[in-house]
Amino acid sequence: MSDQIKPDELLNKIDYGPKKKSEPGNWMNTSVQIRPGMYCYAAKAESVKTLSLPNARPWNPLEDDWKLPDNWQEIIFQGLKERLEKFRTFKVFMDICVRCGACADKCHFFLGTGDPKNMPVLRAELLRSVYRNDFSTAGKILSKIPGGKALAGARPMTMDVLKEWWYYFFQCTECRRCSVFCPYGIDTAEITIMAREIFNLLGLNIDWIATPVSNCFQTGNHLGIQPHAFKDMLDFFVEDIEDVTGVNCAPNFQKKGADILFITPSGDVFADPGTYTCQGYLILFQYLKEKYGLDVTWSTYASEGGNFGFFTSHETMKRLNAKMYAEAKRLGVKWILGGECGHMWRVIHQYMDTMNGPADFLEEPVNPITGTKFENARSTKMVHIVEFTADLIKHGKLELDKSRNSNRIMTFHDSCNPARGMGILDEPRYVIENVCDNFYEMPPNTIREQTFCCGSGAGLNAGENMELRMAGALPRANALKYVHEKFGVNTLGTICAIDRAALSTLCEYWVPDVEVYGIHELVGNALILPGEKNRTEDLRFEPLPGVEEEESDE
Amino acid sequence: MHLKQILKKNRGPFIKKWFQATIDTYPEQTAKILGKDSNRFDNPVGAVTRETIEGVFSLITEDFSQETLEKALDPVIRIRAVQAFSASDAVSFVFTLKKIGENILDDSLIGEFDKIVDKIALAAFNKFMKCKEEIFLLKATESKRRIHRAFERAGLVAELSEDDLVSSKKS
Repeated sequence: MSDQIKPDELLNKIDYGPKKKSEPGNWMNTSVQIRPGMYCYAAKAESVKTLSLPNARPWNPLEDDWKLPDNWQEIIFQGLKERLEKFRTFKVFMDICVRCGACADKCHFFLGTGDPKNMPVLRAELLRSVYRNDFSTAGKILSKIPGGKALAGARPMTMDVLKEWWYYFFQCTECRRCSVFCPYGIDTAEITIMAREIFNLLGLNIDWIATPVSNCFQTGNHLGIQPHAFKDMLDFFVEDIEDVTGVNCAPNFQKKGADILFITPSGDVFADPGTYTCQGYLILFQYLKEKYGLDVTWSTYASEGGNFGFFTSHETMKRLNAKMYAEAKRLGVKWILGGECGHMWRVIHQYMDTMNGPADFLEEPVNPITGTKFENARSTKMVHIVEFTADLIKHGKLELDKSRNSNRIMTFHDSCNPARGMGILDEPRYVIENVCDNFYEMPPNTIREQTFCCGSGAGLNAGENMELRMAGALPRANALKYVHEKFGVNTLGTICAIDRAALSTLCEYWVPDVEVYGIHELVGNALILPGEKNRTEDLRFEPLPGVEEEESDE
Repeated sequence: MHLKQILKKNRGPFIKKWFQATIDTYPEQTAKILGKDSNRFDNPVGAVTRETIEGVFSLITEDFSQETLEKALDPVIRIRAVQAFSASDAVSFVFTLKKIGENILDDSLIGEFDKIVDKIALAAFNKFMKCKEEIFLLKATESKRRIHRAFERAGLVAELSEDDLVSSKKS
């Protein structure tokens, strides 16, 4: 790749936009065209107000006037200065990129949209060019020489630059695939994170982030579902599970002194197909209670594992994260078990400890059934349910009938954050292989650390930016289509709530014959509950494999 | 010689030129990467574009219908329908075939060849519209289908059923 993109080519020769030779121009002077289908609606004023974040007002990205405060340039300058001083990584990442281009063709948004400004190096360069102009010594010296600004790759902060930042930093899902290929280890996601923090200083968030954050802050979950409705939904799942299994799997709510507090993204409780994964959790907890006396509680207050504060600012992320630990402390549980989620785990694994940790009022997580110490969670006290279930299977603690999933020809999508953010690569595969007969990997350059993003993470799973999402999903879909055609794969397993929603839409557009399943839905189907009836249906009320034929034979 | 036989004979140059003309509809830096003959999972748009062009070209050297043309064009149009192309730019790559034909074919065959290109263009436009309609439908029904179904099951809403909401897709 490095032989493909030379720095001067990147900086000076990009003919941006659908091929129009008439105005080649320099990329730094091109004003951005915000295109419907590619951007998300602006944050509602009331959602911004809830968190007392600045400049709450109605505004529209398509209008010329973004209704910014008069001193918006000063706010950006101060915001950048503060962050360059506070976050060493940000400062280093601004300085050390040599523009080798190794990341250029690694981004799913670049591969899908074909827009050069979605090359991670160039997306970051949008911000670096202003950094060089305002902060770097070399940039300041060069700016005094005629033509020096172009030489330094520097440009002043203008309204056009801000709009371009906004457009492209909301075309990054912070998935970090590019950073895997960077010889310097630059984490481009952190550059996007900083850019989005700057936007929030001006009230420039998108609504698909701002309103969930506001809901979560006020009500406890992104969808703004109040405690009684949260309980109603779980009660309803309990009825469904009883219809399928004949066993009552009613959970505990806010039970003081329970062994473990369980927290999952609210998408599992309210959005298909995550709801079936949620039923899988309930079945597992009932099994463990019945067999081993494990006491798990849910909470209608800490009813959100996800954290869209992560896509807003580090302060907002900290505020939302704190409630999970406050609830664990209030209930007096030993440790926290977390559901199948993506960015939730990057927040827990990489940021929680320095934000709200150490959680020294909780115990170091030990699986009471197997005795396994989860040493990776020693400080955060929060264990991923896939690690927990894999450990139970490894020690022979679960009785499983994998034939119930034998109609599922599986592949597995590594979600960016658990895979690249915390190294959960083998546990989900181990669980799948123990609950399913048929498993085929997608090609190696599209899985594990090199996994392609769903294209809808980091708050971009809105409806209005569907073209962007489908373009970003293309590299993942391309690999999925391959295993669908080669091995007859009909099921895409994943351990992320956003993925369960986003990949379902991806499949509808790109590979219509594939369905999306959470791993614990498959566990729920396979697990043999004590006292269960002869099961004939899976959790989706579809006939179990073999049952359909038996019925038609009669 | 019959046109289809001549097309078969010149398959190599036709495909090479048509592929290049198609990826040249992207910005220059992007076209450079798409043109690389790299692993098809590292370069999905380049690979799918190449495979589709090969498929469509094979088809026009045999018997084809509007339906089979649309099917063959699907992978590449499906991609271009979500990219920053206007409707005309999205299907413009088909018309580049005319110029390629002029350079390769004998004058007496140009008229017949251009008629085939027109058929490909019409099929491409049909496919483009179908893909756009799919996108609009996804936009319209995605959140309703996900959230509404769960709420409906829990008896928290009593409005149109989920089937009613998506029935337009089935019809």
